[in-house]
Amino acid sequence: MARPPIDEAALIGRYGPHLNEAPPGGWDAGIDADRMVATHCCFCGQQCGIKLKVAGNQVVGFEPWFDFPFNEGKLCPKGVKRYLQGSHPDRLLHPMERDPEAPGGFRRVTWDQALDRVTAEIRRIQGAFGQDAFAMLSGVSLTNEKSYLVGKFARLALGTANLDYNGRYCMVSAGAGNKKALGIDRASNPWSDIPLADVVWTAGTNIAETFPITTSYIWRARDHGARLIVQDPRLVPHARTADLFLPVRPGTDSALFGAVLHELIRHNWLDHAFIEAHTNDFEAAAAAVADMTPAWAARVTGVPAVRIEQTAEWWGTSATGMLLHARGIEQHTKGVDNVLAAINLGLATGKYGKPGCGVTTITGQGNGQGGREHGHKCDQLPGNRDISNADHRAHVASVWGCDVAEIPGKGLPALEIIEAIHDGRIKGLLSICFNPLVSSPDTSFTREALDRLEFYGVIDFFLSESGHHADIVLPGSLHEEDEGTATSGEGRILRIKAAVDPPGEARRDWEILVDIAQRLGRGQYFDYASTHEIFEELRLASAGGTADYRGATWERIEAEHGIFWPVPEEGHPGTPRLYEGGRFYHPDGRARFHAVRYEPPGEVIDADYPVWLTTGRVVSQYLSGTQTRRIAALVAQYPEPLCEMHPVLAERLGITDGDWVTVTSRRGTMQLPALVVATIRPDTVFIPYHWPGDRAANQLTHRVVDPISKMPEFKVAAVRVERAGGAVETTDVRDLSLHGGAP
Amino acid sequence: MSDAGRFGIDEQPVFVIDQSRCIGCEACVQACMECGTHRGRSLIHLDRIDRAASPQTAPMVCMHCENPTCAQVCPADAIKQTEGGIVQSSLKPRCIGCSNCVLACPFGVPKYMAEIDQMMKCDMCVDRTSEGLKPMCASVCPSEALWFGTIEQFRSRRRGALVRDFLFGRQVVRTKVYTVVDDPTAGPVDVLGVVNTSWIDDPFALEGFL
Amino acid sequence: MACALDGRLTRRLAGGKLAGVRFGAGSKREARRLDQRGLAWGGVGVAIVLAITFFGSDGLLWFDAALIGYLFGTMFMVFGVVYRYAVWVQRPPTAMLNRRGWDSFRQRKAHNLAALPSLVVSQLLVQSFIRRRSRARWLAHQLVFWGCILAALVTFPLTLGLLHFESVGQQADRYQVFVSRIGAVTFDSGSVLGWLTYHVLDVAAILVLAGVFIFLQRRLRDPGALAVERSGDFLALAGLFAVSVTGLFLTVSSHWLGGRFYAALNTLHALTVILGLMYIPFGKLFHIFQRPANLGVAYYKRANAQGPAAPCRRCGIPFASAQQVADVQAILPQLGFDYSDAVGGSHQSTCPGCRRAQVALAQSARVGGFG
Repeated sequence: MARPPIDEAALIGRYGPHLNEAPPGGWDAGIDADRMVATHCCFCGQQCGIKLKVAGNQVVGFEPWFDFPFNEGKLCPKGVKRYLQGSHPDRLLHPMERDPEAPGGFRRVTWDQALDRVTAEIRRIQGAFGQDAFAMLSGVSLTNEKSYLVGKFARLALGTANLDYNGRYCMVSAGAGNKKALGIDRASNPWSDIPLADVVWTAGTNIAETFPITTSYIWRARDHGARLIVQDPRLVPHARTADLFLPVRPGTDSALFGAVLHELIRHNWLDHAFIEAHTNDFEAAAAAVADMTPAWAARVTGVPAVRIEQTAEWWGTSATGMLLHARGIEQHTKGVDNVLAAINLGLATGKYGKPGCGVTTITGQGNGQGGREHGHKCDQLPGNRDISNADHRAHVASVWGCDVAEIPGKGLPALEIIEAIHDGRIKGLLSICFNPLVSSPDTSFTREALDRLEFYGVIDFFLSESGHHADIVLPGSLHEEDEGTATSGEGRILRIKAAVDPPGEARRDWEILVDIAQRLGRGQYFDYASTHEIFEELRLASAGGTADYRGATWERIEAEHGIFWPVPEEGHPGTPRLYEGGRFYHPDGRARFHAVRYEPPGEVIDADYPVWLTTGRVVSQYLSGTQTRRIAALVAQYPEPLCEMHPVLAERLGITDGDWVTVTSRRGTMQLPALVVATIRPDTVFIPYHWPGDRAANQLTHRVVDPISKMPEFKVAAVRVERAGGAVETTDVRDLSLHGGAP
Repeated sequence: MSDAGRFGIDEQPVFVIDQSRCIGCEACVQACMECGTHRGRSLIHLDRIDRAASPQTAPMVCMHCENPTCAQVCPADAIKQTEGGIVQSSLKPRCIGCSNCVLACPFGVPKYMAEIDQMMKCDMCVDRTSEGLKPMCASVCPSEALWFGTIEQFRSRRRGALVRDFLFGRQVVRTKVYTVVDDPTAGPVDVLGVVNTSWIDDPFALEGFL
Repeated sequence: MACALDGRLTRRLAGGKLAGVRFGAGSKREARRLDQRGLAWGGVGVAIVLAITFFGSDGLLWFDAALIGYLFGTMFMVFGVVYRYAVWVQRPPTAMLNRRGWDSFRQRKAHNLAALPSLVVSQLLVQSFIRRRSRARWLAHQLVFWGCILAALVTFPLTLGLLHFESVGQQADRYQVFVSRIGAVTFDSGSVLGWLTYHVLDVAAILVLAGVFIFLQRRLRDPGALAVERSGDFLALAGLFAVSVTGLFLTVSSHWLGGRFYAALNTLHALTVILGLMYIPFGKLFHIFQRPANLGVAYYKRANAQGPAAPCRRCGIPFASAQQVADVQAILPQLGFDYSDAVGGSHQSTCPGCRRAQVALAQSARVGGFG
């Protein structure tokens, strides 16, 4: 039973999150850096360049990396304080085994004891319940090399089909939509195209808080005279300056997109030549939006018809334009539909394959792009290959030197793995870089599932909330403790440099996996002496796939400040902008329109649960907060979740700013302070999701998924909001001038 | 120097603050804490203008006035100006913690640090700028609301004109730090002349809800 | 590190950015002609020194002519310090603070007198505000501070002839300390007290040197400290170092070298001390005389905290003492500023946060498309 061994408060007392306030030696210590290591930030898909200052085996500070072209030294607050995750008091330094008798609930064991136990449990569970009864969950904070290795490890060492990754909660709707329509899962453009656009349309992306560096690209577009359209239920910071704000009701994005396509067709703001030459199925898409008038869409989305018409005019009549979307339209039961509807708008106006033109997702997680390409996704093999495709399987089997039959088929996606654990089909779990207890929808269900595991092995650098349930904890490596590559949201392959060695007995993640594989008697497939060797194999495995890394060498990546894939051979310059000349990645080279009809979200408001809930992020925290909730200055910036609501709603509910409110959905209830601001739709509340336990927004979210991508609907739930009594100051609770003195 | 962030000795980089671009991410606040002259303390300001109504935020660095009001009202002669025009943080031995500068500065910049009984303020990262490096905040600012570079670089990259005169009632204050306006011929930035700025009327089409 | 340091220094010299410091406009005006009142007070200061010397040394009976150079150095220092102090307290903000400090003190005289000892101890002697900035810095400052105090307590009375030693009776190793004409302690030259008396300046020098080394080490290691370095900071440390080291050499010479080089070393020491004294009114060390104003500030702030607070004219929230806001507003016109607006209000009646908001709003209003 993988229940927390002791009271969770005691676990937190022992393993944190504790706050790291200052660099090693304190702020007064001065910086005697031995060396600077040019690498990347680990806290989002933009992968900003950063130089870490290293003294001995400790990262002691940072210096902006001005030469790196994507961010030119720019960093968000997470990037600035990124270096404080090292030398952290909570760092796991040795293997541990669950022991309710031990102080802290875990006892220290040797690596041999820990790995023997892991191996024995894998054998036992698979022996008793079948290969697929042992699952693995992975995460895209891992480098390409580690992601690739996890994919191979699960298939060849564990021999399980049930491997999935936390990008299931992030990128899969965009990936699925892009593959269906365009035949490839990558951003359509390098970010340098954004300033060239006449219209920049952001849909469901809080740029300022989740991709801060992208702001400067948008502002530069505005400097060149671009119009800015912002589609979001909240007036997010960059929306403040928008030429057009589309305050869309949560879950209705496809209605908005459909109405815009309707208007494009009605006014003939179409690129017929492009549609003719490079696309299929326009008629089907057009037929689907025939009734989607702006007046109809206004009723569905809450966006005034005149703004929808204006959007269509600007998008349809501008020579260039970029539509940037993110989780706001993707984390839905209609996530793939939303993405396809957005793509329809790009195809209809010919906004692909040209400077300043594109419809593109903004990848969220650190290595969300590269990580999803190389095989720890339940349905994919390296190179963005399809695990169900016989040719793809054969290629990968030839690189791996195994029999094709040894590669299991398609497994369960992440949320279904949790559900299978809950209903007993999966008995054992190994996770790396995944904190499902915070990031999965319906927290209490996830907790019940983890409790039911017969064995849970965790590889991580801090003990996350999910790790409380572990039977064995294996201390892995931080981003800055291993060499490798990552691929940014632009599709740019980057070099991640090791700045320090793992401290204590902690080991590099790949070494841990290789060790387990050897103990499972599968060492012949995992004969690596370095991460570089893994990358060399990855190049071969990806060769010929859409995500083709064959021509990318570590040396070139470093020398060229990254290479955009596909890069099919060594002399190939890489492919910053996709679809040039209207060539898409389906076998016939043509893109596909899709007929997208509006369907309501998985849960809609009613008399009992009359308010929409949408969830998201704040700028100072990253994902489930395992790293960022341990850095004092970031925690100070936004210490606790707040429930954002419009004064109109607040007044109706008798709530004033700072009141504690109770928010209840069909899954659970939570209490938190209200932040009453006129920057959110009056029928919607927003709660950021980075916190665990009784502060987890996912206590309220709905375990319902997109039928294609299996993405849970984090962005829509129906809730009831009540005043709970008691008050704190919210608007001013965050001290903007950290450590400041005077007014 | 190969690194693009370092300016040559004969280049004349300037600091530009353009509050209209701020997205409130607080990268500057975090980075300010990393500045070598006051590690662990953030001296930049980042204000929510009126959070209940808008997400607008604005940073404020020391503007480095040509005739600094703070230095003039200091009874202890603790605030000095370098030949390059940087108004330094208070001299530690001299500052007597009276807060006159805090109350006088037209831009609301100096911070009185009660625990050390001393005023501290932005010194334009003199540890970095004296070496030709960009200040911390202007290095990291994702929106280029805080920017450091040569005037030629600014013109090649950005819209708007650089001005550095501010009007407070009858007082014109010229600063070393520039700000951005569309029309530089419209005179100094009239700080007291503006009550509020709105950008979108009825962003949420509220008539539908009421 | 060394390389980086060199680069930095070269740049500083070449760029000249930090080499000099410009004073505020007011100070510039003052610098143009000598201040008559300052000159007069300086003269009074020198006269007092001479008077003390004359009467304290019993009509120059105990005045040690060998220390005449030191006396001149002292006179110069006193003149300079008094002159500068006189000019300083005339500046509008200083004069205002001076007045308000005394006003505040007199307001609750008994209470304030009672609070004085603890204020003196914490602000002037223990200097706990420095400890909160940095422990290393505090330790260094305490070492230098007490070293200098110790040295000053011995050397100034000696120089002015206020202090001398006489042997007791015919005993070669028994001395009595005389303060002016009054005999104080008697001690044995071989005793601990004797040793201390002989070596009090060595002890002082070692304290100062230890402090100087901590300061220097901090400055050299910490790029930030180096960057805000002003030439005067190094000069002050160099002066303290020179005085202490040359002083210690005298002991070395007399104890271990049988007095060799003593004369030359003595001249060298005298030179460093006299130059050091002459530097005091001009350099960083003038803060010794400014610092006590901190007590006035403390009383001023205490009185203000009990008085009414000024509400911000924009947001309505009280942000500072009404008295101090009024005082600052009174000083500004004297300094040539006019922050009044069309309706007669003052910008300084707005709280600093709202001032920043106003600047941001005004700027945003001048930019189309944003804000």
